[in-house]
Amino acid sequence: MDLGTLIAAILTLFIFSFLYKDNPFYKFAEYLLVGISVGYFIVISIKTTVVPKLIFPVFREGDLLCLIPGILGFFMFLRFFPKLAWLSRISMALIIGAGAGVSIPAMMQAQIFAQMKASMGSYASINNIIVALAVITTLSYFFFSREHKGALGTSAKIGVFFMMLFFGATFGYTVMSRVTLLIGRAQFLLGDFLGIIK
Amino acid sequence: MRRQIPIVVCFVFGIFMLAQFFVSHPLLTRGYQNVLDWMQIIFVFALLVGALSFLILHLDKISKQQKEWGYNLVALAGLAAMVFLGFFKGIQKDSPFLWVFDNLQVPMQSTMFSLLAFFVASAAYRGFRARNFQSVVLLVAGVLIILGRVPLGEMLHSKIPESATWILNVPSMAARRGILIGIGLGSIATSLRIIVGIERTYLGKG
Amino acid sequence: MPVLPKYMKLNLDRRIIFILMAIAVIFPLVFKLGLPNKVTPEVKNLFGQMESLNDTSVVLISFDFEASSFPEVQPLANAILMHCFSNNLKVIGISLLAEGTALGEKVLKENAAKYNKVYGKDYVFLGFRPQVTATILALGEDFHKVFPEDYYGGSTADLELTKNIKNYKDISLIISVTDGDIPFSWINYAVARYNKDLAVLATAVMATSFYPFLNSGQIKGLVNGLKGAAEYEILLKKPGMGARGMDAQSMAHLLIVLLVILGNIGYWMERRKK
Repeated sequence: MDLGTLIAAILTLFIFSFLYKDNPFYKFAEYLLVGISVGYFIVISIKTTVVPKLIFPVFREGDLLCLIPGILGFFMFLRFFPKLAWLSRISMALIIGAGAGVSIPAMMQAQIFAQMKASMGSYASINNIIVALAVITTLSYFFFSREHKGALGTSAKIGVFFMMLFFGATFGYTVMSRVTLLIGRAQFLLGDFLGIIK
Repeated sequence: MRRQIPIVVCFVFGIFMLAQFFVSHPLLTRGYQNVLDWMQIIFVFALLVGALSFLILHLDKISKQQKEWGYNLVALAGLAAMVFLGFFKGIQKDSPFLWVFDNLQVPMQSTMFSLLAFFVASAAYRGFRARNFQSVVLLVAGVLIILGRVPLGEMLHSKIPESATWILNVPSMAARRGILIGIGLGSIATSLRIIVGIERTYLGKG
Repeated sequence: MPVLPKYMKLNLDRRIIFILMAIAVIFPLVFKLGLPNKVTPEVKNLFGQMESLNDTSVVLISFDFEASSFPEVQPLANAILMHCFSNNLKVIGISLLAEGTALGEKVLKENAAKYNKVYGKDYVFLGFRPQVTATILALGEDFHKVFPEDYYGGSTADLELTKNIKNYKDISLIISVTDGDIPFSWINYAVARYNKDLAVLATAVMATSFYPFLNSGQIKGLVNGLKGAAEYEILLKKPGMGARGMDAQSMAHLLIVLLVILGNIGYWMERRKK
């Protein structure tokens, strides 16, 4: 067994020890994980984005236009200085404004028109009728401009029924995901670490 | 000025990015490509601000020797080690940086999330109750998916995986679609409010 | 009124449940049960689409996941990469999440090595870009502007595989291997705006969110969770990580269903008592 597997196994067991109760081994692993993750992120961000997208274009190719996002990016760090913190809002405003601008037609096309079109197929099949009914009643549940009484109230109640089916299905799949992660760790401990399974 | 300039910037870039979707002109396209490039660069700095606040927070706790400050030291040691290895030893395959990532970060992070399997089991026993009609619907759908998406469900009864597939492809899909359309409408309204300056929460206080 | 047995009382020590869960997972891993697994139409559909691509096709695989879900997405990524390389498809790897970068590089290189693929000619890895929306949109305009260099610092204008890639027009299929909602952005921007084909390989927890897009045809294929990976392995005739975990997955699911039933019996009996 190599050193990496041994360390990985010890740290895995440190974290599993939390199942018994909170303890210093778990806390050690927790803080170490957070520190390493942030360190990893800093390196990857700078080496694979800041350097090729900002440093090289400005200093190697003399592309001065790249100085604009560079300066706006630098403004972000001014959040730590109360008097100049407002400058970071300009950078945020650019990202949020531009993001809002591109999202309007995209949402309209991909999430509204395309989805509505897909619900308006032939109603010869019972499933298509159920789909149309579920979409309309679910949407009616989110219609808050009027009190949920009468026809709207009934529709919203049917909508809740369909949403419960969706939440139930999502719960089922959540169980599946979490169990898979546990299987992955069990395979590591039993296979790579203890050599019991192949 | 501290609020007006960001609002103007937001409006100008919002309108510009919206307009380029409908109007095609080489100059506009070039501007659009540049703005997309800028967004990537600025955003990475925004994320690095988060990393810097993490550093400041832990340094502060250590300098004040607050309760259990030794753990903060562990976190900073992990951060410092990764930064040193990444910048001085490289990030290519077989580098010490990726060795730490593969043997410390990946196993710890996936173990942390695998703990949830135990808590989900405990919650299934304690909290997943058939209290009323709605919870019965939720419970039945959940159980059908739990059994129907593994080979065991097929062995118990062939109708179990069939029902699971039907739920996923018809009622659950349609309810999610209803929610998606709702979110889509809400997002468009919020985006418009942001661009015209009605929604200003991103500016914060001051 | 009958007295409730201890295991039906809701104050049962949770650590007993934890031990049962550990047994349900470990036992089938050590003593294989060999439960038969069936392939669902969704998985068959994506497999068929991959088969229809030829050796001039370029597939863009985006490793949009984090280390926390690696045990679940690794079998999915392995299955699709094995299929790509066995059919001699060209693969471009990127990541829209920082952690997906190192993990994506790892799985890409491992699978490429199995099929003796040449870096730069058969596959490349370009690394991480932040700001999902801007990156996806920018890839549709000018590929080289987004990725002037690959992960190792080589110019993408010089690499044989990437030198002629201008934008999405030169990509046959985008595949997002994901543990989150990044495929929404691929759908909103790459599919809607650039009319590009997209397939999603997702963790089970995210799966229900993508069914509306599969139904509307906005995504061309959806494979999810360990079960999806196991099914794909059956079609590839290469049982791997997915198949190995399915027995344990079944037993753990059975335990959870039993716990739900026991908990509910206890709840109803206590309610009747009151």
